[in-house]
Amino acid sequence: MTDTTGAVVKSESEIGGGLTPRQAKKLRMQSMTAEERGYIRRKAVMDKIFPFFRFVILFGLGFVILYPLIYMVSCTFRERADMNDPTVMWIPRHFTLNVLKETLTAMDFWNTLRTTLILNIGCSFVQVLSCSVTGYGFARFKFRFKGLLFGIVIMMILVPPQVIGLPLYTQFRSFGIRGLFTVNLIDTMWTMYLPAITANGIRSGLMILIFRQFFRGLPKELEDAAYIDGCGPLKTFIRVMIPNAGSAFLTVFLFSVVWYWNDYYFGSTFFVNTSTLARMLTNLDTELKIRLFKSATVEIAPREQIVWKEAGCLLSITPILVLYVCLQKHFTEGIARSGITGI
Amino acid sequence: MAEAEKTAAAPAKKHRGLPYEKRKQLYGYGFISVWMIGTLMFFLIPLVKSFWYSFNEVSIGDGKTLTDWVGLAKFDYILNADPYYTAILKDTLIETAWKTPLILIFSLFIAVILNQKFHGRTLARAIFFLPVIIATGPVYKIISGDMNSTGNTGAAQFSTMFSTDLVGELLQFLGIYGISDNMSTVISTVADNIFGIVWSSGIQILLFLGALQNIPPSAKEAAQIEGATAWEFFWKITLPYVSPFILANLIFTVIDSFTSPTNKVMERILAMKEEWKFGEASAMAWVYFLIVLAAIGLVTLIVNKFIYYEVE
Repeated sequence: MTDTTGAVVKSESEIGGGLTPRQAKKLRMQSMTAEERGYIRRKAVMDKIFPFFRFVILFGLGFVILYPLIYMVSCTFRERADMNDPTVMWIPRHFTLNVLKETLTAMDFWNTLRTTLILNIGCSFVQVLSCSVTGYGFARFKFRFKGLLFGIVIMMILVPPQVIGLPLYTQFRSFGIRGLFTVNLIDTMWTMYLPAITANGIRSGLMILIFRQFFRGLPKELEDAAYIDGCGPLKTFIRVMIPNAGSAFLTVFLFSVVWYWNDYYFGSTFFVNTSTLARMLTNLDTELKIRLFKSATVEIAPREQIVWKEAGCLLSITPILVLYVCLQKHFTEGIARSGITGI
Repeated sequence: MAEAEKTAAAPAKKHRGLPYEKRKQLYGYGFISVWMIGTLMFFLIPLVKSFWYSFNEVSIGDGKTLTDWVGLAKFDYILNADPYYTAILKDTLIETAWKTPLILIFSLFIAVILNQKFHGRTLARAIFFLPVIIATGPVYKIISGDMNSTGNTGAAQFSTMFSTDLVGELLQFLGIYGISDNMSTVISTVADNIFGIVWSSGIQILLFLGALQNIPPSAKEAAQIEGATAWEFFWKITLPYVSPFILANLIFTVIDSFTSPTNKVMERILAMKEEWKFGEASAMAWVYFLIVLAAIGLVTLIVNKFIYYEVE
């Protein structure tokens, strides 16, 4: 075998002129030192093997991420009896839409969804506006105590919501000026809107930081041109900076929606009867018993409860999942390109 | 918002004589004025109040919050008398301590892979960032399978695939018997918690990926010409360039663990609030926060020495 190939190479090199690329490469290899050849060979082997390893790693870990979602779908469309059937793993034996319907009723889904959407989109919108204005102020103006004030922004990022949650509760319970007027804001949407309007909503410290980094990264010449043309700072911000910051606005807005959507802590601290999807999902046990079985003491086997829980999960992530799939680029590339990369 | 802007702009208009720098300073205050009001009302005052509560017996009257100074009694209670707090606190802190480095290593690893060119990269990225939209909410708590001890929903079943037996057998297959028990415990802990780690590294991967894309092409070219292997490239080029982000990601991971839906300390604080024990709840939150803050400060001090900043 080796003899014949050797002979072929020899004869080909004798012919000289009409070399195929493959043989030209072989000739080049022969003219190299052993070290160079070793390097090229190793590189070639790595280039062949590595994609395979990469695929295995990505596939395995991707499965870890997608597994719960697939399981959710699988659970939603099976009967609760299938949970006790050891032969049922992925594909339900008894396909049914009842679980989905029951969960829709138990969560009072459409009303809850409406409340959540009003709260989320409204809060996110005003919060993005207020945070961008603040971020711009920190990025482009020099004023006294700026370092100290920015230190407070950093504190806002670091302090966990549990620390300030309780005083906020008492504050909203009797909101106003002591002796003049007080209103009880608990269980109204103002508890979420007021902090959002004043750039103090959920994770607003992070958003101010992102906007500050973003505006610092924009060229200063843009504003100088506007100033020379007679624009005031506010007009410059609205007419020159905001149009340039479109993608940053969208990215921060999307993340804001996600964080409000997932918030459970503030929701359960401030709300009593106002239900967001996150609260509803956490209390699904009780809701199931009350709305579906009409009694608070009924016992459902924990394994059978899973079908409703997974259905609830599926229902409450579907809207945000749709958002993610449609605007995936803005979620992923936005934050990497625009914002926080300039730390 | 516009009103606040106007109030700041008005004096500036009147004093046309003011020097340019002075006027800009006023505008600066104008831009952040909304935030300043909000921070005073919804951040600074609650922060001080919460600190105050932790030294007081707090009771809610009709529309009023009554406090009664008790000194360090609340701290004494939560650290010595509360049946759950110290155990939960210890578990949570230890978990944060070992999970954070693992999350950082894992997310850097995935970011390096996702930064390469291959078919289906967009899809792979979409899947790996998916936890970003789910992992901060109650859905994560249910799918990670520990809600009200409903047994193993999803995660546990899957992690058996990765768990001790497989790793142990692989090691035996490779002829590695001599590895100490410690090492195999570490490996099996990582394998058992692969679910939690993968699910909490969405944003970290994103940030690392952003950092990797900022490595100048000239550095890559130079390394290629010099014949650097992928391994050398990682240690000598990639790591220095992303090092500032390691610190940022570390801080982000820790503060993310505060609000994680699986955080037991947070659950305990909420439970205390349900019982109207505001003093105890505040003391719990402050003890937790101060310990973590001190740890972050210490790590920052140490890590800062090894960080490479391109612009000195």
